[in-house]
Amino acid sequence: MSAVSRRGFLRASGLGLGVLAGGGLAGCAASMKGDFARKTGPRVVVIGGGWGGATAAKYVRLLDPKVEVILVEPNREFVSCPFSNLVLAGLRTIDSLTMGYDGLRKHGVRIIHESVTAIEPDRKRVRLGEGYLQYDRLVVSPGVDFQLEQIEGLAQNQDKVLHAWKAGPQTVQLARQIAAMPDGGVFVLSIPLAAYRCPPGPYERTSMVAWYLKTSKPRSKLIVLDANQNIISKTALFRAAWQAYPNIDYRGASRVVGVDPGNKEVRTEFDKVRYDVLNVIPPQRAGAIAVQADLVGGDKRWCEVSHVTYESVKQPGIHVIGDATIGLPVPKSGNVANAMGKIAAAAVVSLLNGKEPSALAPGNTCYSWVSDREAIAVVNAYRIENGKVVQIEQKLTPAQSPLVAERAIGWSQSIWADILA
Amino acid sequence: MSARRPAMRLTTPRGIALAAALVLGAWGGQAAHAAGPLDDRGALKSVTCAACHGQAGNSRSSAMPIIAGQDAAYLKKQIEDYAAGKRLSAEMEPYAKQVLNLGVDDVVAYFASRRREPTPIASPADAVARGRSAAAQCVVCHGPQGQGDAAKLIPNLAGQAPGYLREQLLLFKQDRRSPGDPALAALKALLKTIPDETLGDLAAYYSSLR
Repeated sequence: MSAVSRRGFLRASGLGLGVLAGGGLAGCAASMKGDFARKTGPRVVVIGGGWGGATAAKYVRLLDPKVEVILVEPNREFVSCPFSNLVLAGLRTIDSLTMGYDGLRKHGVRIIHESVTAIEPDRKRVRLGEGYLQYDRLVVSPGVDFQLEQIEGLAQNQDKVLHAWKAGPQTVQLARQIAAMPDGGVFVLSIPLAAYRCPPGPYERTSMVAWYLKTSKPRSKLIVLDANQNIISKTALFRAAWQAYPNIDYRGASRVVGVDPGNKEVRTEFDKVRYDVLNVIPPQRAGAIAVQADLVGGDKRWCEVSHVTYESVKQPGIHVIGDATIGLPVPKSGNVANAMGKIAAAAVVSLLNGKEPSALAPGNTCYSWVSDREAIAVVNAYRIENGKVVQIEQKLTPAQSPLVAERAIGWSQSIWADILA
Repeated sequence: MSARRPAMRLTTPRGIALAAALVLGAWGGQAAHAAGPLDDRGALKSVTCAACHGQAGNSRSSAMPIIAGQDAAYLKKQIEDYAAGKRLSAEMEPYAKQVLNLGVDDVVAYFASRRREPTPIASPADAVARGRSAAAQCVVCHGPQGQGDAAKLIPNLAGQAPGYLREQLLLFKQDRRSPGDPALAALKALLKTIPDETLGDLAAYYSSLR
């Protein structure tokens, strides 16, 4: 990110201009040394503008307009991961899942399209290159990063072996690869061991690609190499849906350990499989900034937090939300991240106002598409018991249906607006 | 309709964002005065509802119902029926139990006190016109403007999301919503005499009322 965009931010947000002194026309990071924006009142900085962070930024402003909110997010647009499997089947465009951040700006959220390079908890500030931002409370919604090193050959072949597990350019590229695959070709999908972002996502992807191949390339097949023993979410519903897709060859307990794009071959612990198009969803951990700032636990993967305030158990004053968290009995879903964003916002605003945070539990609504017109859903409800999130109930839709699909669309529209509008 | 396209019309996300931006009646709006939203128990306890029901219960989608401005006693009965498995919904049964755990009265009072923003989904004019003609018998209970009768737990239908209304009419007709509930027997008997296409027209008509 260039210094020009920082100036754009400063201009657009009306923040302190002192730091611009010495910044020539060409601009450079070095000219942005020091305090980015002088803090004049209570301030919350949010790192990450995804389902959790964007929601948290908006709701802090809704709850207390006296609190200044600065959201730091490198991407200029929000692309929804939920519904992105439909892009692989040609049923949605990526544009239909892409939204801007202007809605947040209308709430008074200031946005810097930049990557945080470090967190300094002792000084209560985050670093952006040579500059920094002070905060009173920090919300970190870092999402996930991939552990490419766990699969031999993956790191050096990222341009050929796509994950498409963060909606965006890779989603479009993978859709093109699938569309370009000859009829009779083999698509291989690799699923990592849980925990990873969106437990039912790989099985929805399987359904969508199988539907597309059945419709457009009927002699092709799809081999699913799942490191887990069995489908880990909505198992019976996906099994029922796959009755319509004899082109699926599902193999449980098949952990991929290596890829060889030169020979179009993927290696499991026991086997070698040839492919025409390969999609590896790599093992995951919390986004890099969480690891770097030592918000992760002994496993160096996920962040343990308070179940009521989402404050890190390792760093006071820093709240971690979304897929990066561990220890709550909730899936790593967009809906949960959205709920955590609101609850963390309420907790942060309470704490800034010297009030006791309310004990609020998240909820999870999760739809999965299984054909061009049918979907299934799982819902989890929770309560707080002795300061911990406890599940009240999990419920699945009895069967796949077009009505569930209509509600899936309704959910997407409502929750995108809740995050961004 | 080509097989490649989903069976329903999709609104663009930008359109949704714009529409939702117009209805900032959430915590920042009506709840913000006086004590402030942090002290509004109903607003805080409703924190997860907006993911489906929209800001302050004003869903902007066709399938998810608007609950803003709905009568509190009616909403409470729905939560209790969902939780008890009398009104069947895989999505709402867990959440209804969560609401009961949080305190149903705070939550329904919050949504009942929000101003209803009618659905932005416009139905075809001919469907609305056919629905108006077919609504003669509905008026008896739901009133001339679809406003319902809170004393009898009859809901306000005016401006409700059309996809939701159509789905509920079909569920009533098939006795899949609250099966066996004697209070609904007359409604279901009436709906059995009405063709499914007309139920769609009735949904279009009631969603168009303001």
